[in-house]
Amino acid sequence: MICAGIDAGSRAIKIILIDTVNMQVIAKGLTDQGVEQDRLASGLFKKVLKKHGINKKDVAVIVATGYGRNAVSIADTTVTEITCHAVGVHNLLPDTMTVIDIGGQDSKLLRLDTAGKVRDFAMNDRCAAGTGRFLEVVAERLGVELEGLGELAANSTNPAAISSMCVVFAETEITGLLASGTAREDIVAGVQASIAARIISMAGRNAEPPVIFTGGVAMVSGMAQSMQAALGQNVTVCPDPQMTGALGAAILASKRLKKANT
Amino acid sequence: MRDMPKQITLEEWDLRYEQLKKAGKYQPAYGGPLGRHVEDGDQRLLRLRYDNSAAALRLWNFLLTEEDRLHESRMAGRKIVGTMKDLGTVPVMAYCFENIVAFYPDGAWWIPCVMELGAGLLQIADSLGIDESFCPVRAMLGAFVTGAHFPIPDLLICSVGATCDDFSAIAQRLNGLGHPILWWEIPHRRNPESNETGVNLPGGYSAPKCQVKFVKSQLHGIKTALEDLAGEKLDEQKLFTGIQKANQVRRLLAELRQLAFTAERCPIPALEMLIAEMLAIHFCSNRQETINVLKELLDEVKSRVRDCKGILNVDAARIFWINPVADLQVMNLLEDCGGRICGTEYLFTHALDEIPEDLPPLEALARMALADPMVGSSIDRAQRICHDIRLFGAEAVLISRIPGASHCALEGRVISEIVRDKFDIPVLEIEVPPVTDSMRPTVRTRLEALVETVRASRNKKRI
Repeated sequence: MICAGIDAGSRAIKIILIDTVNMQVIAKGLTDQGVEQDRLASGLFKKVLKKHGINKKDVAVIVATGYGRNAVSIADTTVTEITCHAVGVHNLLPDTMTVIDIGGQDSKLLRLDTAGKVRDFAMNDRCAAGTGRFLEVVAERLGVELEGLGELAANSTNPAAISSMCVVFAETEITGLLASGTAREDIVAGVQASIAARIISMAGRNAEPPVIFTGGVAMVSGMAQSMQAALGQNVTVCPDPQMTGALGAAILASKRLKKANT
Repeated sequence: MRDMPKQITLEEWDLRYEQLKKAGKYQPAYGGPLGRHVEDGDQRLLRLRYDNSAAALRLWNFLLTEEDRLHESRMAGRKIVGTMKDLGTVPVMAYCFENIVAFYPDGAWWIPCVMELGAGLLQIADSLGIDESFCPVRAMLGAFVTGAHFPIPDLLICSVGATCDDFSAIAQRLNGLGHPILWWEIPHRRNPESNETGVNLPGGYSAPKCQVKFVKSQLHGIKTALEDLAGEKLDEQKLFTGIQKANQVRRLLAELRQLAFTAERCPIPALEMLIAEMLAIHFCSNRQETINVLKELLDEVKSRVRDCKGILNVDAARIFWINPVADLQVMNLLEDCGGRICGTEYLFTHALDEIPEDLPPLEALARMALADPMVGSSIDRAQRICHDIRLFGAEAVLISRIPGASHCALEGRVISEIVRDKFDIPVLEIEVPPVTDSMRPTVRTRLEALVETVRASRNKKRI
């Protein structure tokens, strides 16, 4: 049988299908999030099925996760992204003890036990500081693509000090820095360092290694290095970091199926 | 007339009210259908879920008619005292006088929630320079300006010193608006030095004798002011009787908490427990009726526990809740997400602990005032919380931060680390503004994840 995980995040919807016999990923898909969350999730699901020649009736259980999980009407149940990220990352990197997940709208830090279960977690406050949205605003303000931020930051020789943690105030600061002639690469490096500092403040004394970085922001080059510098220890980017929530949801769907069959 | 315990909507309550009335259920003078309070602008009530017992109806009606009671007291010529910030000390003294009613103007912090910002109190506070960087208790300023809620007190008493900075600023602003305040000082509680005589306080704390002596002198000043207002002397016997009455409330609450937090099946919702605990602070403007309301609630809970009935599944995650919420709906949300309250610390544990009856009354009150969790260190507070976590068997801790409140800005981190070190259970911090509607999904995610984490931990233990 096949099980599906749908991660309806704030910026993108991700889907993973797994074969429950060998627990291998057999299909995946991604689309931008929008206003009609349910329609977008259903549409992506159909598209993925069609592309891989899978019949809908072969998908036994669907678990939805992410910010928009309750809007996904095709899901059999929902599980929070905290649990799903833990399951997804543990499946890929079983030794993981700490997960840093930065998505479009929130950031979290999970402490896992040796079995991959969440022992404890922390999430950012309701503001967008320390999230992907912060980086988007910065990229927009500096007139560069999000993907190009890391490359720019790599050329920084003197990262700017960004004192504000609020996106709105930080944008004002960036305007001021640009006006005073600060190089764009120094601004980006400063922003990445400030995001990392924000995450680390959530961690307190709780970032036990190995530390794995996941979520869409993990794909922005330079972020893992900033995180590493702030944390003072190695930070490994999870394979396919944007998909770990969907993977965890698919694995939990498969567990649910097995439980129902026993 | 007892039905299976469950949580119902306001609409369902009004139907049930008619059934109770037909069945001849006793109604106090302030009784009636809950829905009538919406006509006063309490829109939030439409979105809450309530316990379906007659005892809970009485509790809610008692709470929601406090302003009426205060106005009636004014009409009857009784003196009204606003006791601010001390959360449970001065009301014990004030209620020793026949012609004084004390209330807690700080309670206005719930008006923006209950009226869904409709009363405009926060905007008035904004216009007075007390903006959203302050605790939502700033709504109290708006209530004083409009006079639309409680009557302006004949005497205002406020504790300062080791209380939160926000409240001091708000109270000073109130003073500046022409409302004279009798200030009394509460020092930061500290442990006795080696060369000092120590005194045991309720709650397991201690303080140097000189601090107790100082607080006693402050309370003596308040006693004199109350005597002047009442035109009556407050002798030791009267004060002792007042302490005994307060202890009656505290004992009822202690029994209620013990049953509610330890029963296998949760016998009463978190929201009703929050309201019940709040009665300890100032008796909702009627001390004797507070006792009656709590007795009925306790009887209901005892009966449910005896019959193994409750409002939630037995597997509900057992959560210890720290700090009161500005939005009452979040208490319902915890239960929606599969959690139950299993221990609380709403910043007034000193108002729940019994006041010593074997000491001279003012000395006993001074010791109780110094046991306020807000006037000691965060570490003291965390240790008391750890004691109660163990007592009630909580599986996780939820710290509800109050936006802008200075007394809990850093406490969350201190409490989290101490709790984690001691129990290795999950600790979650959330921020709850007066109306959470727009952030409900994000708060829900956090609460659901906490419950999932507790359940996963149980499965692991079974393995």
